[in-house]
Amino acid sequence: MADEGSTPIPNGRFSRRSLIVGGAALGLAAGVGGSTRTGATGRTTAKAAARRPRTPTTGGTLRVGVVGGTNDIIDGQYIVAKPDQARLVAGWETLVTYDDDFNVSYDEGLAESVEATAADLYVIRLREGIEFHDGKTLGADDLVYSLNRLIDPDLGLAPPLQIVLESGGITKLDERTVQVQLNQPAVTFMDTIAGYAFCVVPDGYTREGDQIGTGPFKLTSFTPGTESVHERHPNYWKEGKPHLDGVQIIDFADATALVNALLAGQVDCIADVPFAQVSTVQSNSGFQILESQAGSFLPITMAVDQAPFDDVRVRQAFRLIVDRDEMVERVLSGYGRVANDLYSPFDACYASDLPQRVQDIEQAMALLEEAGQAGLEIDLFAPNDTAGLAEMASVFADQAKAAGVTVNVQVLGSEYWGEEYTKRTFATSFWGTRPYLNQVAAGNLRDAVYPETHWPPDGSDFAELYTQALATVDTEERCAIVHEMQEEEYNEGGNIIAFFNSLLDAYHESVQGLVGRPNVLNLDHFGRGFANIWLDT
Amino acid sequence: MPIAKFIARRLLYGVATLLIISVIVFLLTQLLGDPARAILGREAQVEATLAGKREELGLNRPAINQYFGWLWDLLRGDPGTSYVNGVEIWSFMGERVVNSLFLVILAAAVSIPVSLAIGAYAALKRDKSFDTASSYTSLIFAAMPEFVVGTFLVLLFSVKVWHLFDAVSNVRGDTRPWNDLGAMVLPVATLVLVVMPYVARATRASVIEVLESDYVEMARLKGLPPRTVLWRHALPNALGPTFQVIALSLAYLFGGVVVVEKLFNYPGIGSALVEAIPAHNVPVVQFIAMFIAAVYVACNLFADVGTILVTPRLRTKLT
Repeated sequence: MADEGSTPIPNGRFSRRSLIVGGAALGLAAGVGGSTRTGATGRTTAKAAARRPRTPTTGGTLRVGVVGGTNDIIDGQYIVAKPDQARLVAGWETLVTYDDDFNVSYDEGLAESVEATAADLYVIRLREGIEFHDGKTLGADDLVYSLNRLIDPDLGLAPPLQIVLESGGITKLDERTVQVQLNQPAVTFMDTIAGYAFCVVPDGYTREGDQIGTGPFKLTSFTPGTESVHERHPNYWKEGKPHLDGVQIIDFADATALVNALLAGQVDCIADVPFAQVSTVQSNSGFQILESQAGSFLPITMAVDQAPFDDVRVRQAFRLIVDRDEMVERVLSGYGRVANDLYSPFDACYASDLPQRVQDIEQAMALLEEAGQAGLEIDLFAPNDTAGLAEMASVFADQAKAAGVTVNVQVLGSEYWGEEYTKRTFATSFWGTRPYLNQVAAGNLRDAVYPETHWPPDGSDFAELYTQALATVDTEERCAIVHEMQEEEYNEGGNIIAFFNSLLDAYHESVQGLVGRPNVLNLDHFGRGFANIWLDT
Repeated sequence: MPIAKFIARRLLYGVATLLIISVIVFLLTQLLGDPARAILGREAQVEATLAGKREELGLNRPAINQYFGWLWDLLRGDPGTSYVNGVEIWSFMGERVVNSLFLVILAAAVSIPVSLAIGAYAALKRDKSFDTASSYTSLIFAAMPEFVVGTFLVLLFSVKVWHLFDAVSNVRGDTRPWNDLGAMVLPVATLVLVVMPYVARATRASVIEVLESDYVEMARLKGLPPRTVLWRHALPNALGPTFQVIALSLAYLFGGVVVVEKLFNYPGIGSALVEAIPAHNVPVVQFIAMFIAAVYVACNLFADVGTILVTPRLRTKLT
């Protein structure tokens, strides 16, 4: 679950709960101790950044095109598909957010402060005088209800939070203050609640009831698979925002129709441009491509407890087989960055000092020879419902030939995610942008939500290190532990991570305020609830 | 009234056909795979979640019970609820059915008269330049699938060369297709171009056949003016086969809307079908499949009845 990142690549299909948990990198909670830094600076790539800043004008309705369908939902704390993300950030807000460097920030969220007295005890103080769409003032009761709703096992909105928080741990201290006592130390708490879906809903909120939030835009109508219409929240708490009178989020069944609608001037901006259509968009004057780096990745997974991958030499050999530049070119048409078999590149503790792994067929063959696996033949499984995975598998199969390894790519339908998923020896998967420790919990422990590689192997102290890191408040100390964990994964892990794929969007020049920067959601986090966007008339 | 009896008999056949189709549709949708698993995706890993979803969707019942339950509901006019969001199918499909019908009727209203005229004129001017030109043109369009024609039209008239028409439909909210005629031009044109060759060529063939028949020659030899020969003697007899062609083309249009609706983001049953199949939204797939099947059966019924009515010698054969 929990692939908050957005699709692996444009047009990918999400599994049900895929995009839920927000969060993109470890910026530490200021209260939890120490300064926080990440390595995500200076990675802005879009042309938008180079454009002259202008004074925002008010008014107008922004028309946003997104690929979606009748399974769309609106929920202040949950999403199923991509349009749901856009609708969620328009209407609801989180307590804290991420800044451009993926540090937890108090500038944009509903919390005035979050004080961490210990790794398992947090005191959240809400800003004063924030109004919901219906005029009610945001208070502690709303926050208590929101947290309880997130961990409600019947709703299953946020399983990672469910693990560390029980209803009894949530206490209202006064009208604006709530204390959260976790049932285990988890320094990841701040990152978790900075995730875009961890929003505050009013007391008594249900998906079926009135769609009320504190966000810049209030929902006025919603037809799943067709469109939603949102109007300006007149009493929005951020000075001078939003600029627009309204937002219309329009569903498209097909990415080609989406691009055509943009070019014909029927929508102003679109999320997820298929790689093949980028040049079409660029060849038309008046349109811009917005490329935002993300930490989402498509791993090739090797089960570390199953032959032949129970031999670390075979795993390392397979990692050496990969020509990462070619992968980026062939799978992503160049819209991504080479990765180093590690995830969470925006994490403050990301091990950027480990040498970049490059293709080395000779060494790969030597390792295979040593392991008695020369001339190995193996099945690699991929689903056809997630863009990029089948392509990646066949590129890997091509590259493996040079090392004398025969890879038979087995492409399956959506039954791919059935009983056999997480049991396969050699397979592919997709993940969104997530801080390191959150990603470990999601996919890289024996009891993870999706233990794809069956990591860690017997005798490893990885799981102990994880528990230790969760309880380590000091950033430097924790980063030392996390570095050790990453080193172990780099040297012995079961993931082949060849690249991080970018988010690729497009917009008409009249749309102002979009910035190409590292992001979790498309269209610059959908213009932060569309509050940052204005139309140049 | 033999004709009434004939219609009644054909109606019975139609119902029987639909019943057989319902079995096939049901079996095929079973083959799509486990909807609970498809809906849950990665979450299906959790055994309890999967079992709960199955229970919720009523998938634990024997297939035969599921079939008859579905059929009985269908006969009562209740196609069920969507697996994906639990919404009554009628509540969102009703509008889409109307949208698709509007698109098809508009396309038929343009394509049928024009192609009948072209076909008849080509037959009259057989082997002349008009005939040759229309014949080659129609061959080209007949050879091209809808999405090629549609994409070509969009590039030409909307996004690349000229910006004359909308590239995608604006039908949503209070906007219905008849309020959005500007955006209907390209989808209708696509359907027209795709279906016209068939009707025109079939009309041409049947008119030529009639024109070559003995009685037309007889009429000519009697010295009747060509106009009278054509309108009084030839055309009525060419109408029968043409009815069949029109029915087939209507049915064909209904198939064509699947691709065209997707291409133009038109909210009809075709785009709903395209979406429902990968989502394993079985009740929606079944509903649309049965609806399209019913349209096919109805078109054929009308064609058969129409043929009988315009063909005196068939009419008298009925007993």
